[in-house]
Amino acid sequence: MQNNNEVLLKVENLCQYFRSGTFVNKAVDNVSFEIKKGEVFGLVGESGCGKTTTGRSIIKLYNITGGNVYFKGIRIAAGIQSYKDAIEKAKADAKEKLASAKSDAEKKRINDECNAIVAENKAKLKEADYDQKHCDRAYSDRLVSNLKEKFLPLIEKASGDEKAKLTAEYKEALHKAKRTKLVTQIQMIFQDPIASLDPRMTVREIIAEGLIIQGERNKEIIDQKVFEMLELVGLVREHASRYPHEFSGGQRQRIGVARAIIMNPDLIIADEPVSALDVSIQAQVINLLNDLREKFGLTILFIAHDLSVVKYFSDRIGVMYYGKMVELASSDELFLNPLHPYTRSLLSAIPLPDPIYEKQRQRIVYNPLAAHDYSIDKPTFREVKPGHFVQCNEAEYQEYMKILK
Amino acid sequence: METKLQVRDLAISFRTTNGKVQAVRGINFDLAKGETLSIVGESGSGKSVTSKAILGILAGNSIVEGGEIIYDGKDLLKISEEDFHKIRGDKIAMIFQDPMSSLNPIVKIGRQLTEAMILKGKARQRESKLTFNIYLKTINQKMIDASAANDKTKADEISAKCQNFNKFEYKHLELESAYNTAHESALEAIDMIDVISFEMEKNAVKDVNYRIKQIVRLSKASVHDYVVKKDSKELLAITAKLVKDTPKARKLNDYSSLLTSLARIAEILRAATAAPMPNFFAMGYYLTFANQPLPEMPIAELDVYLRKYLDDNFMLSFIEDAKKGVIYSASTCYAAKEAAIAALKEAKPIFAKAELDSKECYAAHKALSEKVKACIDPLEIIKDSLSYTFEPGVKSELDKYFKAIEKNKVEVKKHDKIQAKYDRLAASGKTPDWKVPAAAVTDLELVKKNINRQIDRLIEHYEASLAAKSNRDYDKETVAAIDHLKSNASGVVNKVTKQVAKAKAIKLMEEVGIAEPRKRYNQYPFEFSGGMRQRIVIAIALAANPDILICDEPTTALDVTIQSQILELINKLKRERQLSVIFITHDLGVVANMADRIAVMYAGKIVEYGSAEEVFYEAAHPYTWALLSSMPDLDTNEKLEAIPGTPPNMIYPPVGDAFAARNKYAMKIDFERQPPMFKITDTHYAATWLLHPDAPKVDPPKIVTDRIARMKEKRGASHAE
Repeated sequence: MQNNNEVLLKVENLCQYFRSGTFVNKAVDNVSFEIKKGEVFGLVGESGCGKTTTGRSIIKLYNITGGNVYFKGIRIAAGIQSYKDAIEKAKADAKEKLASAKSDAEKKRINDECNAIVAENKAKLKEADYDQKHCDRAYSDRLVSNLKEKFLPLIEKASGDEKAKLTAEYKEALHKAKRTKLVTQIQMIFQDPIASLDPRMTVREIIAEGLIIQGERNKEIIDQKVFEMLELVGLVREHASRYPHEFSGGQRQRIGVARAIIMNPDLIIADEPVSALDVSIQAQVINLLNDLREKFGLTILFIAHDLSVVKYFSDRIGVMYYGKMVELASSDELFLNPLHPYTRSLLSAIPLPDPIYEKQRQRIVYNPLAAHDYSIDKPTFREVKPGHFVQCNEAEYQEYMKILK
Repeated sequence: METKLQVRDLAISFRTTNGKVQAVRGINFDLAKGETLSIVGESGSGKSVTSKAILGILAGNSIVEGGEIIYDGKDLLKISEEDFHKIRGDKIAMIFQDPMSSLNPIVKIGRQLTEAMILKGKARQRESKLTFNIYLKTINQKMIDASAANDKTKADEISAKCQNFNKFEYKHLELESAYNTAHESALEAIDMIDVISFEMEKNAVKDVNYRIKQIVRLSKASVHDYVVKKDSKELLAITAKLVKDTPKARKLNDYSSLLTSLARIAEILRAATAAPMPNFFAMGYYLTFANQPLPEMPIAELDVYLRKYLDDNFMLSFIEDAKKGVIYSASTCYAAKEAAIAALKEAKPIFAKAELDSKECYAAHKALSEKVKACIDPLEIIKDSLSYTFEPGVKSELDKYFKAIEKNKVEVKKHDKIQAKYDRLAASGKTPDWKVPAAAVTDLELVKKNINRQIDRLIEHYEASLAAKSNRDYDKETVAAIDHLKSNASGVVNKVTKQVAKAKAIKLMEEVGIAEPRKRYNQYPFEFSGGMRQRIVIAIALAANPDILICDEPTTALDVTIQSQILELINKLKRERQLSVIFITHDLGVVANMADRIAVMYAGKIVEYGSAEEVFYEAAHPYTWALLSSMPDLDTNEKLEAIPGTPPNMIYPPVGDAFAARNKYAMKIDFERQPPMFKITDTHYAATWLLHPDAPKVDPPKIVTDRIARMKEKRGASHAE
């Protein structure tokens, strides 16, 4: 594991709302976190709390409603809808105010104010839209310019055969670089190893699909890479020509892992990769992910609900409850000093392989209405200890500080 | 402990195009009343097949190779599908692994929840009535036999008493169920008021109109002679006011006036529910036979008065007669048992001959069955399974034996023919690319052994029962018999109508933690998330109030909090209803929570069997170690030890220990012979050669010993606190 502070992924005030009729479902509401290079970030919470939606929003499977997602410093997703809403709201406000306004001067002032807000939001909207659409181009431009810097002087210096060879190499690299997409640096491992593999494709086709889309045309290289990946995840070459149904659950999940890492990603979003597996196979997959992480320095966003696995695997853990991040800390810290009542209730529900302890274990029930009084003082996400954040209001903050002392 | 279910030597295979897959290979276990047995193992170890066999829902290509599953005096492997309808879902219920495939996608949740209740409710009512009538008749007969064998007047008197019992028992139940409805609605109203008041104070209340209406309905329903009587007028006045105030309060978003009314209602109801319940049994008798209204007095005095009236006029003499009947029945039964033992011992040589004689055997079987049938005490509430299953059990074995004699000849001929063909080809210099399959002959010796074992087992059982003769408490048994009558009568009176079923279903949905159950009641399965769907499935399984609950990985797809809730729910129901649970899972944390006893299965066999503490702290089988070490807990930092390889192909099961190929502790003998079950303590068994006295001493893997040490340390620390 690398111990640097380079931030690979930054999620800023991410909001993801779903509309059904007039009802707005806030699946993810104002979630912010950072993932540093080389670390495993665990995301836990009960089903329906927005863990998976967060993962999918990051990989741009959804158009996010509000907030920003930065990957390698480039904004890859930005909420357009929130700006649109702001414009509409400003217009509506202005209309209301105009109706009650008396003098012309006041009317003019209100109009100006409104126009200023609209213009500002429009500019932001345009920027966000541009970033959203062209983040891949920005990244490939960066790669292309790097390539040019590297190859052009070499080609100029070289002559004869060597020059031709270099030019060919350069062209090939350029072809790939132009087609490189930033988002392909983020790969996903899905929960259900049965549903996430196309039953009509062979394992070779499944694993190589990403490479082909990216512009790799040489069949030999593709085959070689596929075999390499298969061996890496503990399968053998002969498996390449088989179909997914011929494999057991653990092996299928391995194929899913191979498909993700063949793209040589920097970030893997593992969406409950072991939930559907047997204990022994679960251990195999966790060990595999651990090995890969050590080998490639992968960064992993690990989404799961099995807390003992998350604790074992992650460096930092974020706890989500109904679309909100309620607590974020390093994994040891979180299990040692759980502050938020929901985290406590979650930790009290973990079953452990110890019958005597289990028979005495008392589950703490979390009732947000009873646990908090947010009628006056609204909660915010505060740092109670270096690296330990809790969603709380002032009174609770004081209380938590007391507990920590 | 009373044994509910016995599984003996169960063996099941599946016919596939590639050959016969041996899914379960001879497993044995017992399930006591109110106990949880966990079956642990990897997928493909035969856990689910075992549970499906118990429920009689094996796939069409399954072959039951042998064994018995004994429940309530029946062998579930041998009874007809018709008989199974009465057991499946009603007595034995199952929660399946995949909620999506166990719900009907085009039927509303409410319908699916109440369907079983209504269907089974009718069947149960019919059955209770039948049981009640037959049992009363039998006890009547036995009472007459015991104390009035030749006395006509006395016999008539006893019959009249039984008739009277029948009459006033129904009266009693009517009274009691009316009281229960009122009492329960009062309790429910209190609960609802508590919740809604809390939410009103927090100003986060939803769905006010509907809930207030519910509270009002429940409060009205709780007006009853022995629940809310004195304050009933006030209660009705407040509820009327409550209904009128609600819309206004909602508009203003100010609930203070509602809160005071609700508090007063809760106060009245609390006082009412705290009052003691009168003795309806005695009251039923008084009202039926005294021909006069109840005397006016407080409940405690009334109880004493009624009780005395009942005892003087009826109960004492009835109990006395009933006791005589029970003793009489038991003594005839003991005599029959002695006779049966002699007969069984005498008949043993007939079944031990080298070649059984068909006529002689069937005659002996018939005679023995008569004798055994006489040993069944009709007044016994817990059925003597062995006596009941003797007749069909031996008969099926005999049929098998005599049919096999003919069939074996044909099979051997067939085999010889193929062998001859093979030899011919081989002799002419060709090497055929096929093998001669073994002749499909039935092992006659094995069948014979089964018969003899059944006889021996029955003799042993009867001898044990005769030895325990002097320890029986007939007073207790008489009371139990009368209680049995009462409970069956209540099954007749408590009808399950659509409204009752709906109320029950909504209560169940609340119990399993589904928010807004009334709205959810009318939704379709696709509108629910995975966790919610699983809760519905659990609610359906519990709806029929089963004896035995089989849970096939019910919480594997759920997250921790809900998993924890569901496990608590199952545990609670288990305690309340004395439910026996078979819990199948591969999550050892869940097992630790649920299990009283654990059976670890691998490749169709039970490899380790013991109480939860023994299996977790003193695991003896390498497979159990492997399972324990492949699972991280909160303090695990080291690399997990995954079990290498995959389970063996059960078309060709290994000769020796099935786990040997994946076992790093495997010895030479593991590949050659199957280990027997070694006894470690009275309750703890394991099938591994490591326990053989000649085996080298092997310690469990470090990760397991470390964890056990850590747990002990933690527990010590928490005790010190």
